[in-house]
Amino acid sequence: MKFLRLLHAVLREIFDESAYERYCARHGVDVARASYSSFLREREQINIVKCC
Amino acid sequence: MQTRTLLWITVGVVGALALAAIALHRGEQVNALWLLTAAVCSYALGYRFYSKFIAAKVLALDSQRATPAERLENGRDFVPTNKWVVFGHHFAAIAGPGPLVGPVLAAQFGYLPGTLWILVGAVFGGCVQDFVILLFSVRRDGKSLTEMAKEEIGRVGGFVAYGSVISILVILLAVCALIVVNALKQSPWGTFTIAMTIPIAFLMGIYLRRIRCGRVLECSAIGFVLVLAAIWGGQWASQTPSVAKYFTMTAPALAIAIILYGFAASALPVWLLLAPRDYLSTFVKLGTIGLLAIGIVVMHPTLHMPALTRFTDGTGPVFAGKLFPFAFITIACGAISGFHSLISSGTTPKLIRRETEIRIVGYGAMLAESLVAIMATVAACVVEPGTYFAINSPAGIAGQLPETAASTISSWGFPVTAANMHSLAQSVGEQTLFNRTGGAPAFAVGMAHIFSGSLGGQAVMALWYHFALMFEALFILTVLDAGTRVGRFMLQDALGHAWKPLGRTSWYPSVFATSGLIVALWGYFLWQGVRDPLGGINSLWPLFGIANQLLAAVALCVATSIIIKMHRARYALVTLAPLAWLVTVTFAASWHKVFDPDPRIGFLSQARRLAAAGGNARLVFNNRLDAVVTGVLVAMVTLILLESARQWVEMLSGKREAKLKESPFVITRLAEERG
Repeated sequence: MKFLRLLHAVLREIFDESAYERYCARHGVDVARASYSSFLREREQINIVKCC
Repeated sequence: MQTRTLLWITVGVVGALALAAIALHRGEQVNALWLLTAAVCSYALGYRFYSKFIAAKVLALDSQRATPAERLENGRDFVPTNKWVVFGHHFAAIAGPGPLVGPVLAAQFGYLPGTLWILVGAVFGGCVQDFVILLFSVRRDGKSLTEMAKEEIGRVGGFVAYGSVISILVILLAVCALIVVNALKQSPWGTFTIAMTIPIAFLMGIYLRRIRCGRVLECSAIGFVLVLAAIWGGQWASQTPSVAKYFTMTAPALAIAIILYGFAASALPVWLLLAPRDYLSTFVKLGTIGLLAIGIVVMHPTLHMPALTRFTDGTGPVFAGKLFPFAFITIACGAISGFHSLISSGTTPKLIRRETEIRIVGYGAMLAESLVAIMATVAACVVEPGTYFAINSPAGIAGQLPETAASTISSWGFPVTAANMHSLAQSVGEQTLFNRTGGAPAFAVGMAHIFSGSLGGQAVMALWYHFALMFEALFILTVLDAGTRVGRFMLQDALGHAWKPLGRTSWYPSVFATSGLIVALWGYFLWQGVRDPLGGINSLWPLFGIANQLLAAVALCVATSIIIKMHRARYALVTLAPLAWLVTVTFAASWHKVFDPDPRIGFLSQARRLAAAGGNARLVFNNRLDAVVTGVLVAMVTLILLESARQWVEMLSGKREAKLKESPFVITRLAEERG
């Protein structure tokens, strides 16, 4: 069970779900189109490198 | 305590036996489980003993020292995160197509050289590089490799690191695009499937933004189901002439389509195409790697490729060049990859909660990637050698006609017939499998062979083949669009110093100009590869390997400088040894690629041969250009090596103060809370 919870947490981090949750908490906003749009705009500015 | 010692002795003995089994067998076929056992035991020993030694003696990891994720926590990029979550995040970022393609190409030497290099290179080189760079970035508030090079080695270091990164990006993107072109040319099924991932990504982007905001996992699962439907639909498309004609494309047509796609992906809003594709690709990647591991264990297939082939002498058809140095630059990711140092000094250091967790993330995640490379070796070597060479040999070497190619390959001692290849092509839903260079089709055939043996049998071989092809092409294209964007950011960053508006990432004239410039650069090399009579991979993959390993040399120079500044010069061999090896390998390979008198190896001799034969002036120019690019890369790294060596000597002789540029020590709150 602990393993599954951890796996879920890993996947949520990889797929940016946790990042969006943190964004909502940081800005005191709810999950909504507007907050997701501004979250995506913020993510656009981060230069995320992926390897070959 | 005694039980533990006994356990590690057992791991050592089993590992040694497995290594002996794969190294000493001649004339008999070896089971893939021997490779996996040798790998797992080597990794376990490397992690338990070598990484522990580095953590304790060389780096002196300090659990009391607050990391930037804790000190600078902002909920955005600096976030203290569970070590396994960071491990998964880091692994997803470092594991790209490289560990799949390189080992498949290097299999032309046999299964043994690639396997040994992957194991030794990872344990003593790649994992060490990722580990030390991650720690040094953590101790410098998450600074990038180029910033650390500038601070620790000086302006020359910063300039060379920047130049290396841009060069490697351009060559990497070109070679990635070429692999996709070679995998999809004249393949309506594959082209249809990959083309469908673009509208699927659009749908996902709209779903995430309009319907279920932020539900990425759910959306990726839906996207995955749609991709499976696209694979299924690809069979229909390939069998319906009126549809198939639109998806049966030549290599140049595919190259143009990919160049346009790269530009669009870089210039369009991230949420619309790039981000959903990245999510989809990661979803497929993690699932497929897991599936491949299970498939190999369950099926434990036999390797048909011999331990060593006759092509260790440098006459190989996949790429020309002797075992040394070419095996070591062909396999980069999976053994040691300079590109990883960018990720170890990118987002990952900002997530590390405790210094002591860097060991599992830096060293451990690279071990996991190395295991992926071993699985790719298995996938390539379960295929009959004749089939492997028929797929990977360019028409310019094996021959244009199936009968000629089969006869040439059989004359090398690897029997294959045109009828067998035709039957295999039919069973995987392709028109032909001859001259499908680049590694992806051979990997797909191997993977389909492994999967179809356990799930569905020969009847679904075509589906597995196209699933594997889609899997590889999907995340190669993700590297392509993410890489183009990274290159655009780097160019904008540099040009912004000359004129500020050019640095603004939201100013469209600058976005279009820099995207266009990056795409034009890799597009040029892609076009060159497509027009190359030797298949393009022969010249571009070694160039990529050289650039990638030279970047690793830059990272190891930075790491060695810091270790000496930490007054731990007696342990500097930990980074100096892989650095010395990489310099030897890459400089030797570069010399061969530029000056070797064999036209299949040396760019200049190829240019001379083409010029003498009155060949295409563009091809002559391209070969000279490749020689110049290789020379410039080597010159840049020589510069940083000399500058670093000068500093090391001055510091060790007391002429220069060994001044570290670390962030000040702050005790962790996490420790206080715990204690």
